[in-house]
Amino acid sequence: MAGGDMFRRVLGKTLGFLGYTVQYGCIAHCAFEYIGEFVACSGPSMEPTITSHDVVFSERLSRHLCRIEKGDIVIAKSPFDPHMNICKRVIGLEGDKICTSGPSDVFKTHQYVPKGHVWLEGDNLRNSTDSRSYGPVPYALIRGRVCLKLWPPHNFGALNQSPTGRIVKRSD
Amino acid sequence: MDCGDMFRRVLGKTLGFLGYTVQYGCIAHCAFEYIGEFVACSGPSMEPTITSHDVVFSERLSRHLCRIEKGDIVIAKSPFDPHMNICKRVIGLEGDKICTSGPSDVFKTHQYVPKGHVWLEGDNLRNSTDSRSYGPVPYALIRGRVCLKLWPPHNFGALNQSPTGRIVKRSD
Repeated sequence: MAGGDMFRRVLGKTLGFLGYTVQYGCIAHCAFEYIGEFVACSGPSMEPTITSHDVVFSERLSRHLCRIEKGDIVIAKSPFDPHMNICKRVIGLEGDKICTSGPSDVFKTHQYVPKGHVWLEGDNLRNSTDSRSYGPVPYALIRGRVCLKLWPPHNFGALNQSPTGRIVKRSD
Repeated sequence: MDCGDMFRRVLGKTLGFLGYTVQYGCIAHCAFEYIGEFVACSGPSMEPTITSHDVVFSERLSRHLCRIEKGDIVIAKSPFDPHMNICKRVIGLEGDKICTSGPSDVFKTHQYVPKGHVWLEGDNLRNSTDSRSYGPVPYALIRGRVCLKLWPPHNFGALNQSPTGRIVKRSD
């Protein structure tokens, strides 16, 4: 009798604990989904703006309200690996004309960004795999906009403008 | 004194109500995100398997566990409009060779599905804008796998196999 009683109490407490975990897990998930998330970056493609092992805060509101603009640094799902994320700068939006030839090429080639897509490039042009290799990226793959650098502490604050001069000017 | 008291009680109840709404809203959001969602389809591109105004249930587990297979009907975000969803069948996975020429073309053309992408086609080949027009779609755009037709009631149940014979066989 005592054993059955204790079992029911342990079961009750366990279910109660699981219930709270699910509840607060869902609330935390929604906070990360709709407010923002912390991202630890790795790789050289955004130097000098973001270096490897920097921690940034990526806010979600701009993405949900479709307020991503040229010059923003975004976190997006990689088009080639659904489990990986990429961190690049938005160079062009849909309809923009992107110059895809190198600065030393004789013949200039251009490409238009299709509807619903964006053109992403890293700030470290020499060491970045981005839209110059894999083409425009669907807007729906963007997760959030990087708005604040959190780590290292001596670099805390807003992020710099693009050092590359590649952002498409307003079309004439 | 009375008004201040009543104001505090109304405020307390309102905040409590808002708290419950946020709490259960988050739990509902996570249920739709991780379990499945109901989708009302429109358009002729999946006839006869799914007709316009059918309601289907799209489960999320396969997408999160990367268990989407050839022949599955999936709901995905449209590559051209991040607010629209498309409902198509998976014809090929990454690495598959897709025949992109028509049945009446003399010269057969092929295309390989890149890593991290899928090739989607509607069952109604004559009236479907799909990968044949916009190319392979990144796997990360897939939202869920349609597993059950719910409406109309006389068509309730599992969905039919592809009527088109376009699904890529296991490569030799």
